[in-house]
Amino acid sequence: MNLSMLATAVAVEGRKAAASRVLTSSAILLIVGVAALAAATTAAAGSGNEQLAAKLGPLAATGGWPAVLNVATQVTAAAGLLAYGVGLSWMFGREFTDGTVTGLFGLPVTRPALALAKLVVFLLWGAATAVALTLAVGLVGFAVTGQLPQPGDVAGLGRLLALAVMTAALAVPAAWAATLGRGLLPAIATIVGLMAVTQIVVVAGAGGGWFPPAAPALWALLPATVGGAELLFAAFFPLLFGGLTLHAWHRLQLDR
Amino acid sequence: MTAARIEVCGLTRLFSGGAGVQGIDFDVTAGEIHALVGLNGAGKTTLMRLLLGMLRPTAGTVHIDRQPLRTADWSNVGHLVETPLAYGELDGRANLMLAARLHGADAGRAARMVDDVLAELNLTRYAAVRARRMSLGNRQRLGLAAALQHHPRVVVLDEPTNALDPAGVILLREALVRRAAEGAGVLVSSHHLDEVARVAHRITVINAGRVIGTLDPRGVDIERSFFALVHADDTCHDRSVR
Repeated sequence: MNLSMLATAVAVEGRKAAASRVLTSSAILLIVGVAALAAATTAAAGSGNEQLAAKLGPLAATGGWPAVLNVATQVTAAAGLLAYGVGLSWMFGREFTDGTVTGLFGLPVTRPALALAKLVVFLLWGAATAVALTLAVGLVGFAVTGQLPQPGDVAGLGRLLALAVMTAALAVPAAWAATLGRGLLPAIATIVGLMAVTQIVVVAGAGGGWFPPAAPALWALLPATVGGAELLFAAFFPLLFGGLTLHAWHRLQLDR
Repeated sequence: MTAARIEVCGLTRLFSGGAGVQGIDFDVTAGEIHALVGLNGAGKTTLMRLLLGMLRPTAGTVHIDRQPLRTADWSNVGHLVETPLAYGELDGRANLMLAARLHGADAGRAARMVDDVLAELNLTRYAAVRARRMSLGNRQRLGLAAALQHHPRVVVLDEPTNALDPAGVILLREALVRRAAEGAGVLVSSHHLDEVARVAHRITVINAGRVIGTLDPRGVDIERSFFALVHADDTCHDRSVR
């Protein structure tokens, strides 16, 4: 694989992604969903809904920018993994379910180059979605609180942006599962399983930072509880599964 | 001596249950249209998958233009096996542009190739139609255009007339004849004997995963000859014709 081949593969995958309704709708649902939930729950908690305030926790119950950011961060950690996971599952799984994978053999552009291009395009899409999500939450925060964010809130928006990007990276196992399972459903099942385990670990609290899929969420919500070592460890998670995906595409056979 | 575009020697790949191909020897030379015929499940698609690296053989070798698959010049290969390379969300032109880029053409050359093949296969009116809105036959035609537009030296097509209307069959036949005249080696599989007889220079019969003989494309009763070969093979190996 050389850079020219990778550039061609990225151009091809980028063209497919740009025309994709799945990627567009996943991004819109995530952005609108997070912003709407953050606004609605903060407004409801601020209006004296005690049940909701109890569910959201002490920080969210205080109202204002901290509440908006706390809710947006919680929702992004869970819903983000699902939305990004669906997008990546589709990018890889559709080649098998649509049968187009046969056309990806016998080309001068190798299959690992195509798989890497899919991951590159996915991460670019994920980063663009993360920026849009952060802007949407910023706008919603201003609308709900009527105040510009304080320096601490800006830091919270920064953590939200970082969380969204890291959550996209944490969805990479979906690419490997779609390849091994030759379709969309194994990848979606993997993401749902990952979400469930991550939620359990996050709720369990102590030591959760060493579980890669949970580390970014815990860091974004409670920065003091997760150190650089845990975040670095979490960064190896997408690298590991990205490597496994490229290897699976290199060894791919249409034998089932 | 005419150069072999495809050369297969002792090719074997068996699946659990006994399906697959074993001990296949054959070649496709430059300028030749070579047809593989056989009943459903005979092993035609498995053989084509082996030629294109979609499956790895358990024994035997494949050479494309005298190169093993690992070092073959894939920019000079065009193929359509089972499903056309047509993404539903993209229109005809965009699909062909992607296929051209994947075969190594730069953007300018790809655009010219696409214009030419749209005209050649009478697809111009579908250039701006999304593939998911096309009929099965036009999607197949689009897949064939993607396989042929870069004028490859090696063409591998599995049941290329599937879903094509009579006009599409004629357009395909003419396109294959042109590619062969340019020096390409063309391998097509089919179970339509009359169709391959019109276009093929050589016909190889495959049955139960093995090459069992050849047919003369200019023979008077090619269908009878085909069934005689298959029946003799099945009888010899204690299989009944299904």
